[in-house]
Amino acid sequence: MNWLTSTDHKHIARLYFLSTFVFFGVAGILAMLIRAQLAQPGLTLLSPHAYDQVFTLHGTAMIFLFIAPFGIGLANFLVPLQIGAPDMAFPRLNATSVWMFIFGGIIVLAGAAASGGGASAGWSGYAPLSEIEIGTGAGQDLWIIGLLMVSVSTILTAINLLVTVLVYRAPGMTMWRMPIFTWEIVATALMILMAFPSLTAALAGLLIDRRLGGHLFDPSTGGSAILYEHLFWFFGHPEVYVMILPYFGVITEVIATFSRKPVFGYVGLVLAAFAIAGLSMGVWAHHLFTTGAVANPFFSGVSFLIAIPTGIKFVNWIGTMWRGSLELTTAMLFALGFMLNFLLGGLTGILIASPPIDYQAHDSYFVVAHFHYTLGGGSMFAVFAAIFFWFPKVYGFRLSERLGKWTFWPMFIGFNLTFLPMHLSGLEGMPRRVETYPAIGHLPLLNLLSSLGTAIIASGVVIFLVNLVLSARARVPAGDDPWGGFTLEWATSSPPPEFNFKELPSIRSERPAFDARHPEIAPTR
Amino acid sequence: MFPFSPATTQAETLGADWFVFSVAATAVGLVVIALILAPPLLWRRRSGALPVQNAGHRVVELGSTLTATAIVVGLFFFATLPHERAVDATVASPDEVVNVTAFRWSWRFAYPGTPVTIVGTPMTEPELVLPLGKTTEIDLRSADVQHSFWVPGFLFKRDAVPGILNRFDLTPTRVGDFEGVCAQFCGLDHTHMRFRVHVVPAEAFARWISSGNRKRFS
Repeated sequence: MNWLTSTDHKHIARLYFLSTFVFFGVAGILAMLIRAQLAQPGLTLLSPHAYDQVFTLHGTAMIFLFIAPFGIGLANFLVPLQIGAPDMAFPRLNATSVWMFIFGGIIVLAGAAASGGGASAGWSGYAPLSEIEIGTGAGQDLWIIGLLMVSVSTILTAINLLVTVLVYRAPGMTMWRMPIFTWEIVATALMILMAFPSLTAALAGLLIDRRLGGHLFDPSTGGSAILYEHLFWFFGHPEVYVMILPYFGVITEVIATFSRKPVFGYVGLVLAAFAIAGLSMGVWAHHLFTTGAVANPFFSGVSFLIAIPTGIKFVNWIGTMWRGSLELTTAMLFALGFMLNFLLGGLTGILIASPPIDYQAHDSYFVVAHFHYTLGGGSMFAVFAAIFFWFPKVYGFRLSERLGKWTFWPMFIGFNLTFLPMHLSGLEGMPRRVETYPAIGHLPLLNLLSSLGTAIIASGVVIFLVNLVLSARARVPAGDDPWGGFTLEWATSSPPPEFNFKELPSIRSERPAFDARHPEIAPTR
Repeated sequence: MFPFSPATTQAETLGADWFVFSVAATAVGLVVIALILAPPLLWRRRSGALPVQNAGHRVVELGSTLTATAIVVGLFFFATLPHERAVDATVASPDEVVNVTAFRWSWRFAYPGTPVTIVGTPMTEPELVLPLGKTTEIDLRSADVQHSFWVPGFLFKRDAVPGILNRFDLTPTRVGDFEGVCAQFCGLDHTHMRFRVHVVPAEAFARWISSGNRKRFS
């Protein structure tokens, strides 16, 4: 029963890793169904109603049940270790959060078994579509209730992480000596506290309208449809950064370690994280440029400003690698892949922040390409960088580096083959969320390329699963510090003992584990 | 498809925005890709010796921040703002007005002051007829949920949001047929909520409208 009742943050993190990966598998299979249906024009593999459920649950699971909560799980594991704390501030609250998340996720997906099918209004669940057209089937209600649980769980964890960082740092671990990953989590937690209550309100409103006879979002009975769009995206855009800032932290740690150099521009990186967090609260209506109901120039201008702190991060990553001693481990390859993919997603992000461009790109496959380059080519690649980097610390044995590289290349090539053509199919007039398309222009060719690419990505994921099985059998011990790590988690055993540290090294910079190995150049006070 | 051949005066402005941003993004992208790939190509680990432990560079950090700021501020004030204003401006007295209503799952095109109303179904695409070289004001409404009026050939879409009236101008500069689609997911038959824009010379348009949609175009 220990796995059920334990409040150890490392155990809770492992629950996050396991559950988010199961949800990732479900979402990935749904993605392959989408690409199978769209491989050629006019296919009828899935009925329209089935297709609507598939893309709704694909988006919902990838965002709410994989990319965001994997970052939460990583924070659960790493933040107490990186600041030299024995556990999270509120261990039982932490256990509450993870189980609330797991059951919330199961409820969301289980809705697919309800009579009438699962949720089918898209991951953004626009009202009044999600209220009147979807009808009274329980699937949409279970989607709402499950996401409410995930939302509340996320808010509780954000509070937990903030208090842990503010109160439980080890002696010597000043704020300005915290690892960049921990700083990014602080910024993420603040965004969660500001944004998730708006999601909770939007979802509760949907439930009130659907089940309690409310009229919040249905204009035919005096409600406001645009109000739902505002509430949802007031959450939804900060959520985009909730899904990227933890991974900026991952990439920073991986690059610094495998370049054997301190982080370039530490203070600038931290300030950039808070600039992104702050600005992210003022850009939500760029999702509403085409509604004709918002002040486009204002939201466009603020969106452009986010490019500046994001650019700073690229300069810092490149500066960290510059004249370094680079070791191209699997984690480092995924970090490099992250930078290249996220660069493209960031650049197209600047394009669609300009309303005249968004008037064409919005709700087309161009936007699908854009956000997959940030969340898939970005965050998901960082997830794999994190796995290959911290797996030995979390589970105590190593993953095969050779199979790791065989995971990276199909994923990198397959990812770009899938999503690069989508920019063009979007510009040629392919809207999102259609279960087929006419055989005009280059649409059949572009879609076929995308579908082939997805199969290549999947082969990379399969090699990763093989790696897990073979490495678990071989069980090559990780040792305390397999990579020459910088931060405190590498100064304890793998996996760390209960309460994390038998003794702590002295903390005189943001990389105490490095200082302990190199006393000749470590700061002395 | 890029590069675009604009089919409305509004699309000329929209295409100009695409052009400016695409050039800027390509230039920045190529520089950054080169900078990302240089370290793994040049400085692979060959010995246990530690590299120089520099932790920043004031001039590089400040310089790159100011450069990024100059680029986005420049793009915003010299491309986005003027282009957005030009496209979203509507003329006070348009040559024609069409009331467009989106519903699940097709479109209704009504020409006020005439008996002409064209209603489609998911199986039969309705046709929106526009006169060449004239400015037509589209008054866009939704009868139920959110939809979006998108003509990819015009580089333009506008959402039909229930409870909101959206007005915009279209001034076609080329005769021909243009595909139209609903871009905002609206349920089961969203995929088949397509329409066609038929741009005809102004005289042919006048004959067609005065015939009450009986006279077909040759």
